[in-house]
Amino acid sequence: MHIELAKWIPWIPAGAAVLCGLCAMKRQLRMASALICILAICATFGITVLISGSFSPNGNDPVKPRTVEVFDWISIWGQQVFSSRISAESYANENPGSKMIARDGTDGEKEFVVRKPIFVADFSYLLDSLTIVMLYVVTGVGALVAIYAAGYMAGDRGYARFFSAVCLFIFSMTTLVMADNLLLLFLGWEGVGLCSYLLIGYYYDKPTAVAAAKKAFVVNRIGDLGFLIGIFTAYIRYDTVVIHEMISTVSATMQNGATDWKDHLIPFMLMLGAFGKSAQLPLYVWLPDAMEGPTPVSALIHAATMVTAGVYLIVRLLPLFEISPYALPTVAVVGAVTALFAATIALCQYDIKRIYAYSTISQLGYMFLGVGFLSTAGGIFHLFTHAFFKALLFLTAGSVMHALAGQLDLRKMSGLRKKLPVTCWLMFAGCLALAGFPFTAGFFSKDMILAATFEKGINEQLILPNVMGVIGLLTALLTAFYAFRLWFRIFTGPEKYEMGAEHHGAEPDHGVRTSSSVQVEHVHDAHEVSWLMNAPLLVLACGALTAGFLGHEWIERMVVASTAEPARPPMMDEGVQLHGLMMVVSGVISVVGVMAAAYFHWLNRDATERFADRFVATVRVLTNKYYVDELYDAMIVRPLRVVGGIFYQVDRLVIDSLVMALGFLPRALGLAIQPSQRGALQGYGIGMAIGLVSIVVLVLMAIASGHNS
Amino acid sequence: MVVSELHSLVLSHFLFTGAVLFIFGLVGFLCRRNLIMMFLCTEMMFQGVVITLVGFSRFHGNLTGQTFVIFVLTVAAAEAALALGLVVLLFRRKRTLDPEAWGELQG
Amino acid sequence: MPYLIYIASTLAAISLYMMMPRRGFQPGKFGALLGAATLGGLWLLLAEYLPEPTDRDVGQAVMVYYYIFSAVAIISAARVVTHDRPVYAALWFVMVVLSSAGLILILGAEFIGFASVIIYGGAILVTYLFVIMLASQSGDSDGRPDHDRIPREPAAAVIIGFVLLSAILTAAFPTAEANLFHPNRFSAAPTDADIIAEVLTSRPVQNLSGENGALAEALAGESEQLSNAERIGLDLFQGHPLGIELAGIILLVCLVGAVVIAKTRVDSFDPKAGTDQ
Repeated sequence: MHIELAKWIPWIPAGAAVLCGLCAMKRQLRMASALICILAICATFGITVLISGSFSPNGNDPVKPRTVEVFDWISIWGQQVFSSRISAESYANENPGSKMIARDGTDGEKEFVVRKPIFVADFSYLLDSLTIVMLYVVTGVGALVAIYAAGYMAGDRGYARFFSAVCLFIFSMTTLVMADNLLLLFLGWEGVGLCSYLLIGYYYDKPTAVAAAKKAFVVNRIGDLGFLIGIFTAYIRYDTVVIHEMISTVSATMQNGATDWKDHLIPFMLMLGAFGKSAQLPLYVWLPDAMEGPTPVSALIHAATMVTAGVYLIVRLLPLFEISPYALPTVAVVGAVTALFAATIALCQYDIKRIYAYSTISQLGYMFLGVGFLSTAGGIFHLFTHAFFKALLFLTAGSVMHALAGQLDLRKMSGLRKKLPVTCWLMFAGCLALAGFPFTAGFFSKDMILAATFEKGINEQLILPNVMGVIGLLTALLTAFYAFRLWFRIFTGPEKYEMGAEHHGAEPDHGVRTSSSVQVEHVHDAHEVSWLMNAPLLVLACGALTAGFLGHEWIERMVVASTAEPARPPMMDEGVQLHGLMMVVSGVISVVGVMAAAYFHWLNRDATERFADRFVATVRVLTNKYYVDELYDAMIVRPLRVVGGIFYQVDRLVIDSLVMALGFLPRALGLAIQPSQRGALQGYGIGMAIGLVSIVVLVLMAIASGHNS
Repeated sequence: MVVSELHSLVLSHFLFTGAVLFIFGLVGFLCRRNLIMMFLCTEMMFQGVVITLVGFSRFHGNLTGQTFVIFVLTVAAAEAALALGLVVLLFRRKRTLDPEAWGELQG
Repeated sequence: MPYLIYIASTLAAISLYMMMPRRGFQPGKFGALLGAATLGGLWLLLAEYLPEPTDRDVGQAVMVYYYIFSAVAIISAARVVTHDRPVYAALWFVMVVLSSAGLILILGAEFIGFASVIIYGGAILVTYLFVIMLASQSGDSDGRPDHDRIPREPAAAVIIGFVLLSAILTAAFPTAEANLFHPNRFSAAPTDADIIAEVLTSRPVQNLSGENGALAEALAGESEQLSNAERIGLDLFQGHPLGIELAGIILLVCLVGAVVIAKTRVDSFDPKAGTDQ
């Protein structure tokens, strides 16, 4: 009913971004930018709520996807003229999307013009139930994070810049999820990449932040190259980049079985883009470093929304992946391995935000695992719940940072339960959900993925899904352990903490005395954040606890009603049903993990030391994140540097000397005639006179010779 | 056919005088070492040109040559005003009129 | 004929070179004699070729004035170039202007003749004299700096100048083979009478009737009765309005420039640089 409103969803934040940018110019207006940003994102959320009614499936009625056109962006049409209607119509039927126009030809006869799209990528938005789910996540979490950030960022120099970038991010992200063709999707994809870059490098005077921003950008380029090649190949293969046209072509191909090599290349290339954006092996390295950005950014972009774009891409284009028998299993294996890999790293990290970053990578791996084994509903559901609890966890981590003046080191804080009571229990809720504690959000979504995996393995008698499922269970155990390791470390035990050196979001007159690591020297003590910041956290906490229980039916219906519905659904009805069993198993696992964490990090912290001493080598490897950064440095960065050095030397020695030699010719000429410029006025006069004489003599000789002939 | 108002050999005599004045001016410009004298010699070159122009004007029975002399006078007057002003300025700076004294830009 | 010109040019060059002031032996007098002889010989040889006088031509009698004025002009010019005192050179230049005005009068261009006497001989030369006074060091002969007296590279200048002169004169004096200035070569150029007639007939008649008798008669087709100044005025304002405007702008800009130059303060007087090298 209000479906046309949808076209405003990206553009309201876009306008707000411009307004915020303008606010940045005037000091007095800076505070207004937060309000503008919050209002804009809330407006988009409101529109999402309004239009979602039209897309909620009722009973068995399938909901038709709708396309909302905004404007013609790129449209190249070819035309063919026919003299008879029949041939024109048959030609038009052969080419989907073409239009036939009858007109009077030059010789008075009727002629028929068939216009067929050669390359059409309009600014059109595709609305279906999957889009609605994604819009809920983006705008809902976005609004809550924006409200939190209004308090968190207060007093910061780049206040307006921050909100401008956030609005721009919402614009790009909504464009991404609403795009009806791959080109527009890529526009949004690059837009979120840009905003991510801008926001990671938000503290641009901090070298680590700048380096992290660059790293994120460069690593994403690798993925985006794959994505671009995927788009090109898709256009070559399907003659269109419009998503639903591609999907219908693919369905036709799947039925007649006429696949070619491009069908196999496309999903792998698109996958590369998805792995880059969603920080999967081997392109995950940028995400932990991305935590250099402000915490709300980590919550919004690097946990809840942008990094899930890869999952969304695969789910949106699921038929393109299904056509190749190797594509989706690859996705699943990469997802599962990443999940375990990142979870193990998270065990031994001490930086709160980095732990959450690895946790995000791990949970994204879960989503890919689910999508890879055709449990798209599970993948999207986990995306949905993960958005809630990971945003909550990051924001509570932000509260801790806020309280401790930027302190993030787990070893330097303990027993903060009394100081930060609200944050403590909010984070507890988030950790429960992350750990998949029974009846929290994470519990339901993880269960859905694991059940689907094992069902596929058992029903189709495949080894791979079972192995991956076991990896998933192991990861669940580790997840529960590291989530509560962190929580117990921060909030239980003896109360002792050290203040950090920064003061994010503190009032400008908060003086931090130089090199203060002792709390006494800091002007303010650890304190609870304001209710402006806690209110959105409460909403997120409610979501983290209840979204799974309340939402799993709805999500499943929504996803199934969209293009993400698998063409070959797993044999749900015939095979074994594992949901009940999986609930018990994963519930037990998570409780075991939580209890282990409680033992090692709350009740008997000394045991941890003794335990760690026995596995020194393992702990060292994990603490150093498997030396992946060092490995990349040695394998990629160093060789590239060497190659660059060689090129530089070639450029300097060969090319430069060539150019210099060329440049030396006129120089030498100048040196040769330089002495003639004596600076003597009459010397120049004599030169002029000699020239004049020569010309006159020559002209006269020419005239005379002309007369003689 | 246009009838000439002046026999061409008579014209040649006037051209001769004009050419001699022009060349004397040129020689003076090239070898005198006083800025003021150099400008005076250019004025003499103008005189040669003026005689030539008027001679041709009469030869062709066409007034444009004489009209052009008026423009020559304009340029000469402008040159005298500006160039002499500059000469005075230069003289005040270095107390000499020798153009060799201003050789700072030599190569 | 060309050989005559070449020989005369060479002799004249030698004489001018001899007349140049220099240190030590001064052969100026001999140079002057050689020059006068060259000029006279050249004219005597050329006079044979002079045509019979016609009505339209300037006539034999007038040619006598030509020789007088021309001789004065050339001698004065030689002195301008060779005199070792700027003030005298400027005064000799007045003679050049006066005699060339006489030449111009012979050619029937009264307006230009008088104008050049007034503007050159009057205004410009006075300016020069002022500046020479302003910008000269001590007046006595011994203390005068070298650069006022001794020319630089006179040989080169004279050679270049007289090569150019012989080239020009080769073209200026018609030969049997090549008469560059034969009227037929320029038959496309419209005559004075044609232009004036066209200019006058294209003017609005009302403003001219009554007051200006000469113009009114010219309207009737008697343009021959217009004086030289009237003809030039008509040609100038009717034929070259843009040129007039540009000349006015040049003079205005020049005026402003002269004021700016005159007001420029020169502080950095460097006594070391002021010494004559």
